[in-house]
Amino acid sequence: MSGVVVLAFRILMAAAVYIFLGLALWMIWQDLKQEGRKASLRVFPAIRLEVRARNRVVVSKTFSKPEIILGRNPACDIPINDETASAQHAKLSYHHNQWWLEDLNSTNGTKLNREKLSLPTVLTSDDEIQCGKTKVTVIMNDTMPGSPEP
Amino acid sequence: MSRNIFEFFRIGRSASSIDQRQSRLLLLAALFLFLDSVILTLSPAVREQTWNVSYRWSQWIGYAIWAALFFLADRFTRKQLPDRDPLLLPLASLLSGWGILTIWRLDPAYGIRQAIWLTVSLAALAAILYYLPSDLAPLRRYKYILLTGGLIITGLTLLLGTNPEGYGPRLWLGCCGVYLQPSEPLKLLLVVYLSAYLGDRLLIRQRFFPLLFPTIFVTGIALLLLLVQRDLGTASIFVLIYTVILYMATGKRRVLLATALMLALAGVVGYFFVDVVHERIGAWLDPWADPSGHSYQIVQSLLAIANGGMIGRGPGLGSPALVPVAHSDFIFTAVAEETGLLGTTALIIVFCLILARGLRIAFRAPDQFRRILAAGLCAYLGIQTLLIIDGNLRLVPLTGVTLPFVSYGGSSLLTAFIAIGLLLMISSQPDEMPALLTAPGSYYFVMGVLGVGIIATLFANSWWAVLRGPDLLNRTDNPRLAISDRYVPRGAILDRNNQPIDVTEGQSSAYHRVYLYPDLAPVTGYIHPTYGQAGLEASLDKTLRGLQGNPASLIWWDHLLYGTPPAGLDVRLSLDLELQKRADQSLGDHKGAVILMNAQTGEILVMASHPTYNPNKLDEIGASLAQDQNTPLVNRAAQGMYASGSALQPFAYGLKTAQQVIALFENLGFYTPPQIRLPVAGAMQSGELKNLRISPLQMIVAEGTLSAHGLRTAPRIVLAVNTSQQGWVILPALGQSIQALDTATADRIANELAIQNQPFWEWAGAGNTGPDFSTWYLEGTLPDWKGTPLVAVVLLEENSPALAKDIGVQLLKAAITP
Repeated sequence: MSGVVVLAFRILMAAAVYIFLGLALWMIWQDLKQEGRKASLRVFPAIRLEVRARNRVVVSKTFSKPEIILGRNPACDIPINDETASAQHAKLSYHHNQWWLEDLNSTNGTKLNREKLSLPTVLTSDDEIQCGKTKVTVIMNDTMPGSPEP
Repeated sequence: MSRNIFEFFRIGRSASSIDQRQSRLLLLAALFLFLDSVILTLSPAVREQTWNVSYRWSQWIGYAIWAALFFLADRFTRKQLPDRDPLLLPLASLLSGWGILTIWRLDPAYGIRQAIWLTVSLAALAAILYYLPSDLAPLRRYKYILLTGGLIITGLTLLLGTNPEGYGPRLWLGCCGVYLQPSEPLKLLLVVYLSAYLGDRLLIRQRFFPLLFPTIFVTGIALLLLLVQRDLGTASIFVLIYTVILYMATGKRRVLLATALMLALAGVVGYFFVDVVHERIGAWLDPWADPSGHSYQIVQSLLAIANGGMIGRGPGLGSPALVPVAHSDFIFTAVAEETGLLGTTALIIVFCLILARGLRIAFRAPDQFRRILAAGLCAYLGIQTLLIIDGNLRLVPLTGVTLPFVSYGGSSLLTAFIAIGLLLMISSQPDEMPALLTAPGSYYFVMGVLGVGIIATLFANSWWAVLRGPDLLNRTDNPRLAISDRYVPRGAILDRNNQPIDVTEGQSSAYHRVYLYPDLAPVTGYIHPTYGQAGLEASLDKTLRGLQGNPASLIWWDHLLYGTPPAGLDVRLSLDLELQKRADQSLGDHKGAVILMNAQTGEILVMASHPTYNPNKLDEIGASLAQDQNTPLVNRAAQGMYASGSALQPFAYGLKTAQQVIALFENLGFYTPPQIRLPVAGAMQSGELKNLRISPLQMIVAEGTLSAHGLRTAPRIVLAVNTSQQGWVILPALGQSIQALDTATADRIANELAIQNQPFWEWAGAGNTGPDFSTWYLEGTLPDWKGTPLVAVVLLEENSPALAKDIGVQLLKAAITP
């Protein structure tokens, strides 16, 4: 008889430890979901890029997504019609509360304010990016809230 | 009610959700440990299978201390670190509470010390949370002072070291009953130093080796100290922690490669030149070679895990104390035996979750120093956990380190809780962005290795607990059988008239075997915790223990509830105690054997073997018995092989060629051991004639043919088993009866040997091999005898035919007189 009573307690005890684990895993799952929500709701400042050719603005586009690719490939966010630019030339990305410029191993390199870029670098407004021979000006407006691109 | 449960599991998104999560998990941990304590209290009742026992209460002190401490810790962390990780504290609390209760169950004296150390550890945790600034700057600034201090204190053990047990390696510093093992906190200081150093230096581009010089230097000193102390387990942990931190921080694979080569080299050198390493690696490679010596611990550990099986024997219901140092190095084994694979899997998952949360904290850390620190603390916890659990499971060689949070040991507990304190501090950084992690590959690699290690551990655990378990438990060096014999009555051995021969007396927890007719000892044998089993007690063991003859469901149920077999079954022998006493009296001090058998049914009525011994006194005489020149342990009637000499002449009379004689002897069973539920000697090879040696049992089976018209009956010594459901169930003879001689020949031989005016035939013979003389006297009823056909054999290890005849005639006469 004592064996049966204790067996019942043993089953309860095993249930208790597995409920503990289940609850802990449930919390971790909730954390993951929250991370996802945070990522999807993240707000970042809009950025406008102006492409110039022979000192004339050819393209001007405003972005509100966290990653922008510049390159000769027409599928790029900013297509650059220039033989000295690589297909995927440079990347702008928003993280750590900053816009960052990064060269994508382009053949002729990327220059920021006439200096050759080797490491990801923080951008500020009115910076001049040079991909091959094409120059792109960065214009930031801090008060513009992010909204999905049409 | 259902609404409350729903509320309980709902995780709010408010600011207090961290507090809620922590308290809910702590409550569940408290419930789990409460149930554990309840079972420990009730466990004596289960063991002795009665409610009338003295219950186990003292572990409630440990539970109360645990509950009070974590209630306070919950309150304190709420106030001090509102944004901490809510899972870490409950996970650590579950492990430490589980540890305290397990240690308490093994030895309350250690339990109370562990409870005191838990108090100290949580006080240390509180101090860290209270005094350290959230960026942990003092650790970073004073890294050299801290590490040097740690090294000096560890170095002091070389001069002032002691061991709380009074023997063994002197790795502790202590006074007035309080001992500290400085190598435990030294691990932590090494992690702090490495993360502070690398966190500062990695930003500056520097060549790889100049960068490493200072770390190699201080780690080298620590290693040297540990090697001098022969604390090899901790030394290997130091090397591994150093490697993993360096690899995670720099991302250079060659660090791993170099360490792997170095450890392999150290292992090989150690195997050939250092005794401890040689023993440990030898015990790991082949534990079954020396199960009572160097690999005693690991074999006992595997036996305990096997005994736990799937769901364990229940807290307080296993025998984990059989494994040496179960409270420390082998605490995992103790948990495995009492909660089974189910419990150890939960335990391993809890460690996994601590590591997962720790690495998450590392990824979210706001600067390099704190990231490397958090990852390093995870490395320390993960490596040490895997090393000792896998050591217990024989996946890696045994290293004498503790299981963090769970094992007994103040220094280990303190170190683990300081690590948790630091992780909590690093996790509580609400507004800071995580530092940039340029190359996360090394972190993923380390996580992958830990993951593979954990999966391998779970597989090894299932292998020993479930797949190999049943085989292991049948090993003769499994002491659990002897323990269950004290709690479960063993079946009695009765004679053919239900007169008790061997019975079990006493009450649960103190059952012991009593041998009411000790002269039968060479036949019935004994069962003893030290000397094992012999004779019928050995050959009928499964039945007497209730493992055979009981329904499988009952055996399964009793094993589930009590971890023991059901009550044993009584066995009835064919022996007749009245005749047996007569044979024993007449044989007296002479060395020899007497058997009386029913030639028709094969039932053995008397089986005497002298000299005999008193199995009731096995405790005192056991050791000397095996060395006794007169070999009283041998059952001469079935296990003694004697020169047949002239004793077989009547059978072979008239046969012309050797082939004919061999064919006859084959029929009479001289070349095959008799099939009977009794240990017997092996027979000689077919074809042996001149130097043929046979046992008295073979002889009586053969001479039975003369009294039973040539029929060779299969001998029986066990008649029936008293089963719980069907009452007495007959056990048939193991062998087949065959017509060994044709009826005419058998009757003719018997009549030629007839004694005048008596219903018996007789034959006396003698054989000798060298100085050993054997006198045979064979006798039986004549073929036309109307009563039960009986045959007797007397064998004496001396030359005295008159005495042999006297014994035989008296016995047979007594047997046929009603």
